[in-house]
Amino acid sequence: MSLPQPVIEFLNNNAATLGVPQVAVDLDLFKSGALDSFALVDFVTVLEEHCGIRVPDAEVIPANFRTIEDIDRYVSSRRLES
Amino acid sequence: MSSFITATGSYLPARVVSNEELAEKLGLTPEQIFKSSGIRRRHWASPREITSALGCTALRNTNVSAEDIDYLIFGTMTSDRFIPGSAPGVQAALNLREVPCLDIRQACCNTLYGLQLASALVTSGLATNVAVCLAEVQSAFLRLSPQAGTTSMLFGDGAAALVVSSQGEAGALEIVDVHLATDGKYVDDLGIRAPGSEFNGRAEPQDYEPRMNGQSVILQASRRMLSACQTVLDRNSLSIDDVSWIVPHQANANLLTQLARGLKLKDVSRVVSVIENTGNTSSASMGIALDTLRGSGDLKQGEFLLMPAFAAGFTWGAALCRVV
Repeated sequence: MSLPQPVIEFLNNNAATLGVPQVAVDLDLFKSGALDSFALVDFVTVLEEHCGIRVPDAEVIPANFRTIEDIDRYVSSRRLES
Repeated sequence: MSSFITATGSYLPARVVSNEELAEKLGLTPEQIFKSSGIRRRHWASPREITSALGCTALRNTNVSAEDIDYLIFGTMTSDRFIPGSAPGVQAALNLREVPCLDIRQACCNTLYGLQLASALVTSGLATNVAVCLAEVQSAFLRLSPQAGTTSMLFGDGAAALVVSSQGEAGALEIVDVHLATDGKYVDDLGIRAPGSEFNGRAEPQDYEPRMNGQSVILQASRRMLSACQTVLDRNSLSIDDVSWIVPHQANANLLTQLARGLKLKDVSRVVSVIENTGNTSSASMGIALDTLRGSGDLKQGEFLLMPAFAAGFTWGAALCRVV
């Protein structure tokens, strides 16, 4: 897992605010309510700031950010492309 | 040569429809509607009020003489008829001269497209005073059932009119810049499919109703409106701190909050919001918000206004205006 701590903290804090106590790496962030569409927009900004990647607008889709594992995979792919 | 918004007007139908009146039919509670949209009530036209009639009233409310208008642009998704559009109805009802009348159908970006076209017309010398009418009677197309609840709760009817001229006196708004963009691969995420040639002969009843992938709309609208604002600011060598007012398309109060956060606005009260009392009036919403702001008397000479919007297509953009 290569996601920086502030990224994980954002997810945990957002989940706690929305009443989801524990964010496991394979938890479906949308189904569990840990992320909603508005929070995802903020989350992508956090991801860009702390992972040194640029997420194209067309790739801001839930499929890329469904679980922490998906996010990690997506960040790695963006780093490879840049 | 410059172009100016020299007059604005708006109109909301008399009938007010509260969340309380709608909620049960939509399988929601009034608070659920408010929490997810920021809307408490909206205005709906009576069955006899057609879209061009709303536009006529808004244009009358600009107090610009019909004789002075030499081009009419009408932006709507809910035209009086399939063909022709609503602009000829306004020309006839208001006794405008036999001027060019053009309908545009860029949905919630109609104000921006209308302003860009009007600005081009007056700066090129093809017109002197362009009326941009923006109106919707969306209530006629809404399905009041739980299956359509999260879409039908949003929309209201209303109209706005902006007059764009080649000369602007104190209080007018100079149109400094308009940026527009489109990505057509989201065509199925927001809109109404039928009537249209793609579904000719095979349209289902729901194809005639608004369809919206809310998640896709929120994600793309949040990002694209922000980038449009940044594009306009960058190419005019301005920062967000130079902007006094944000006058966005009134889609959803939560989206306006997201936009303010993304723009890093220090004072969120500078985001003009009328959505609580109007709902999402689509084509008309930005014009209604702008007319409300001008009517408040809060605008001061030299202030910049940033006006972002996002619409079916997807298409999006932002305008920059300055108070003369």
